Amino acid sequence: MIPIEFFLVLSAALFCVGIVGVITKTNGIVILMCIELMLNAANINFIAFASYLHDALGQIFVLMTISVAAAEVGVGIAILLHAYKSKKTTDVDDLTVLRW
Amino acid sequence: MSVIQEGIDALMPIMPQFILIIAALIVPAIGLKSGKASSIFTMAAAALAIAVTAYMMYDGYTDSFMDIFEFNDFTGLMTVLFLIVLILVSLISYSGSETRKHHGEYFALLIVATVGMIFVAGASNLIALFIGIELASISSYALVAFKKNDPASAEASVKYLIIGGLSTALSLYGISLLYGLTGSVAISDVAQYLAEGSFTWTYIVAVITVIAGFGFKIAMVPFHFWAPDVYEGAPTPVTTFLAIGSKKMGFIVFFKIFLMMFILAQVLGGIPEMQWLFAFLAAATMTLGNLIAISQTSIKRMLAYSSIAQAGYILIVLAVGSSYALEGGLFHMITHVFMKGGAFIVVAALCARGLSENISDYRGLAKRAPLVAFAMMLFLFSLAGIPPLAGFDSKFVLFSSAVTPDGTWIWLVAVAVINSAISLYYYARVVKAMYVDKGASTEKMRVPMPFAIAIAICAIATVAIGIYPGPIIELCESAVKAFLLM
Repeated sequence: MIPIEFFLVLSAALFCVGIVGVITKTNGIVILMCIELMLNAANINFIAFASYLHDALGQIFVLMTISVAAAEVGVGIAILLHAYKSKKTTDVDDLTVLRW
Repeated sequence: MSVIQEGIDALMPIMPQFILIIAALIVPAIGLKSGKASSIFTMAAAALAIAVTAYMMYDGYTDSFMDIFEFNDFTGLMTVLFLIVLILVSLISYSGSETRKHHGEYFALLIVATVGMIFVAGASNLIALFIGIELASISSYALVAFKKNDPASAEASVKYLIIGGLSTALSLYGISLLYGLTGSVAISDVAQYLAEGSFTWTYIVAVITVIAGFGFKIAMVPFHFWAPDVYEGAPTPVTTFLAIGSKKMGFIVFFKIFLMMFILAQVLGGIPEMQWLFAFLAAATMTLGNLIAISQTSIKRMLAYSSIAQAGYILIVLAVGSSYALEGGLFHMITHVFMKGGAFIVVAALCARGLSENISDYRGLAKRAPLVAFAMMLFLFSLAGIPPLAGFDSKFVLFSSAVTPDGTWIWLVAVAVINSAISLYYYARVVKAMYVDKGASTEKMRVPMPFAIAIAICAIATVAIGIYPGPIIELCESAVKAFLLM
């Protein structure tokens, strides 16, 4: 059996890639993708723990997370599209109407 | 017959949500015909749900729905609170100038977001908690974008979406580690483990990501940057909903996970490190919120920063970590709904009459709309904590809970009181603009009827709770008792 550390390191790495992406990228769509990466990091954790604890609830949690993530992306793309219509860009650095 | 009876019995703990979900499915159809009808229908459904909840609370009903949702006095009180928010917001949504089209979808999203919040209030399991939060959040992302031809609204919703998604991902990662540490998704098990836990790396990462993730939801410093932008850009009814609804949901999550943990840990000697962390976060949140609010020229932004400061006051509950503090926290959450809600409703009403959001536009308002100006003054003074208004009573209970025999948190009380004084400065500036300064126009102004009703409800509640807080404090007491048994 693969030791659980392998999964945890993988998920931690994925999480870090996601968080760095959210901080550094400026394209709204790419930021959404990075958030998905972070959610998937959590999913890997859930599945690894569920398998090692012999507990089905962790896997149920993953199913729930996947559906929530799908809903979030659905609404997210719609919102970005709406912003694109009014601003002609999906670059979040150009969103400068509201500040301070 | 008995099958139906069994079905109703099984669904009884989630009956208020059940009613609301059915209403949310019907309301888009009504919205096609008439926006006014869908607003009235939403309020009727909420009123029915309040009646059912009140009856269940009066009956002393407690039961759990499949071990994921528990109905008790705490859940009941929070359900009624969220439903009052829903009624206030749907009252002002129809006749406002900002949400003109797509009434059916708008009210459906509003109802669904409220259902999510109610689920959070009663969740006894991390899965239900997570789904409830997401139900409320994802609906609010869409609600923020509802002012369709305004670029500021689109920008606010993009910011809210990205920050909200980030906070979801952070908190989910933390929850996954908590699940791994405890091997259970029941909140009581997790709180028990956290209370006993030693500071291992996994423990620290889990706690930090959970605090950061949910800290975004309550706009705690340093996770507050989104709040003023979103509050300013969103349609004012939605801003009201976010400020008085969503924020309460975030606090309930904090209470459920961290307050439980502190109260359980007190038997074992407490976790002073974590309590100090929350004390610093509370102090930073209220100070920063109040200081930045001083320099604002837009009233919506000023109220947004004051909302951040109010979150700081409620965070005192987590620093102190006693049941009396929780009582004060719940009391402040209830009064906050009426005073902050009232202030935002006044802003929305004046918006509907073509006044801009700049504080300079409020000059001479007392001459133009005396009653509205007077109500606004009541709300602002209540937020600052001037007796005999509701804000004073709840702040009094909240701050006095931090005066413990060992005197650890006296400094926090001092910071909070100084902050209340600072906040009075910028609230008084608006009152001065309304009452002392001369406006460009002296033409009389009448706010639309639904707004007048909503403002009257909030004003009466602010004064009545302020003068006669007894019943509400009793409700909070029984809610805290139920909460500790959860």
